Amino acid sequence: MTGLPPAVEMRGITRRFGAIQPLRGVNLALGRGEVLGLLGDNGAGKSTLTKILSGALAPTDGEILIDGQLCRFASPRDAQDAGVHMVYQDLSLCGSVDVAGNLFMGREPVRRVLGLPFLDTATMHSRAAEMLQGLGVVIRDTHARVEGLSGGQRQAIAIARAAAFNPGVLILDEPTAALAVMEVEAVLSLITRLRDQGVTIILITHRLQDLFHVCDRVAVIRNGVVAAERQIDETSIGELVDLIVGERFHARSAH
Amino acid sequence: MPAQHTKTVTVSKNGVGRAPGRLLHGIALGFERQPGLASVCCLLFICVTTFSVFAPSFLSVSNFLTILRQNAAAFISAAAMTFVITTGGIDLSIGAVAAFSGIAMAVLATFWHMPPLLAVAGALCAGAVAGAVNGLLITRVGMAPFIVTLATMSVFRGLSLVTAQGYSLPLPEDSALLEWAGRGWIGPVPVPALIMLFCVAAASITLHRTRFGRYVTGIGSNQEGVRRTGVNVRRVSLIVYVFSGLAAALSGVIMAGRLGSASSNIGVGFELDVIAAVVLGGTSLTGGYGSVIGSALGILTLACLKNGLILAHISPFLTQIFTGLITLGAIWINMSLKGRDLFGIRKNRDDR
Repeated sequence: MTGLPPAVEMRGITRRFGAIQPLRGVNLALGRGEVLGLLGDNGAGKSTLTKILSGALAPTDGEILIDGQLCRFASPRDAQDAGVHMVYQDLSLCGSVDVAGNLFMGREPVRRVLGLPFLDTATMHSRAAEMLQGLGVVIRDTHARVEGLSGGQRQAIAIARAAAFNPGVLILDEPTAALAVMEVEAVLSLITRLRDQGVTIILITHRLQDLFHVCDRVAVIRNGVVAAERQIDETSIGELVDLIVGERFHARSAH
Repeated sequence: MPAQHTKTVTVSKNGVGRAPGRLLHGIALGFERQPGLASVCCLLFICVTTFSVFAPSFLSVSNFLTILRQNAAAFISAAAMTFVITTGGIDLSIGAVAAFSGIAMAVLATFWHMPPLLAVAGALCAGAVAGAVNGLLITRVGMAPFIVTLATMSVFRGLSLVTAQGYSLPLPEDSALLEWAGRGWIGPVPVPALIMLFCVAAASITLHRTRFGRYVTGIGSNQEGVRRTGVNVRRVSLIVYVFSGLAAALSGVIMAGRLGSASSNIGVGFELDVIAAVVLGGTSLTGGYGSVIGSALGILTLACLKNGLILAHISPFLTQIFTGLITLGAIWINMSLKGRDLFGIRKNRDDR
């Protein structure tokens, strides 16, 4: 790494819910344009960590630095203002609203007619088509309602929406879960494209094989701490399974 | 418009392009964007043709204006109810709020001797406050809209009864302005019909052409998703209930004006007629999709039914049975049309 500060640095992040302590001091740093795979079994603390980084939860203790600047996030809005965006697993899309409407939800362009602000749907649709094309997403009609689209297309729209904010850091929660093979490929190439644009990406997934296509590095969370970090070309699925489970484990799913 | 062109291509690939005539094609496109409208249009067409045959006086301009005049209040409340139902909520209190606002207007004008404009403003304020109470309980306390508005329905009906002591309160005879909203005419057109047309048009444009309307639809579809994009969903929902109360108050003012007096038992069952019409018009009761024009057509259909049955000398007792059956039928048609276009051709749901 060069002299630049890391895009994201988390120092000693802890979180306590009453007697339960899902995070016990997480230290993690990502360089600009790096793709980090975040692994961990259910309940290891992955989602607590990403919620803290995206501003949905406040840490009990610890510091978050974005581009070397100390940040405190009281809400997802604060995190978004600092350039940290998250795509939730449930995608947060509105099924009965069209593709362009979902891409611009919350920041629709308006056009004044007689002094009254009306939705500028023409601009929305043309810019939505440009946005999708720029990310290599194939959706023929931006007037289509999202509920009629496939899982991969919806995932692409959710990612495109987050990408439209020019995020510095993008957190993707299980973007390839429940997708068909070709759709997984499309989403992975979308992630690669964003990385090439200099976006730092944290990828949460249970599909270990995906990590080897897009990630530079993986971090394994276990019992609320970063149990291991590996460069992706120095590890294997078998080792990752062992690290996730925390012991020598003859995982049949790894063979 | 290039966007329209893309749509045409997509649809013609699904086989509708072979349908005869560009007009039919255009109608089909319209229905495809607003699927619920198809069934209510069909029902309205059936009602109008049937009654035109069996009741000679049905199909006339004067009868049409009568229907608009008699149902202006329902049209206005249905426009606001469309917003409430599109967010996934419900407002059962509108009948009681309409009665309460009418009473408020009569009390302010007759007993407090306020000028008519202030009395009307007071009535509208009463409605807005009632809507705000509903909205705050729903958005801040987090209670279910059904329960909140069921309770406030009872409260506002009770407040009306207490205030009027069960009497019907006459509006002062010297102020024609109070009754103008309910029974005035501008040239050949009744005033309530004009107010109603303005409200329906404004509501439809707001729902489909503004950010606010987009968030109303979004909240009904995925409230948490809209919240995560930074929209203040509580405020949007609150405004929707305030609008509903305001529309109910305007309905109350019009109803009281038409009768020349305010009564505490005006608008009993009004909310159910309005909800039936909104659902008839294709608005989804679970939220996420709404059409103000559909709701207006729903009210028009139910109104034509009532009016036509009377003109055809059929017992008015049958009206309620027909209303119920028609509502069931419309929802049945909606369900079977789902995923199909106007000609019953299954749509290509996955745009792969």
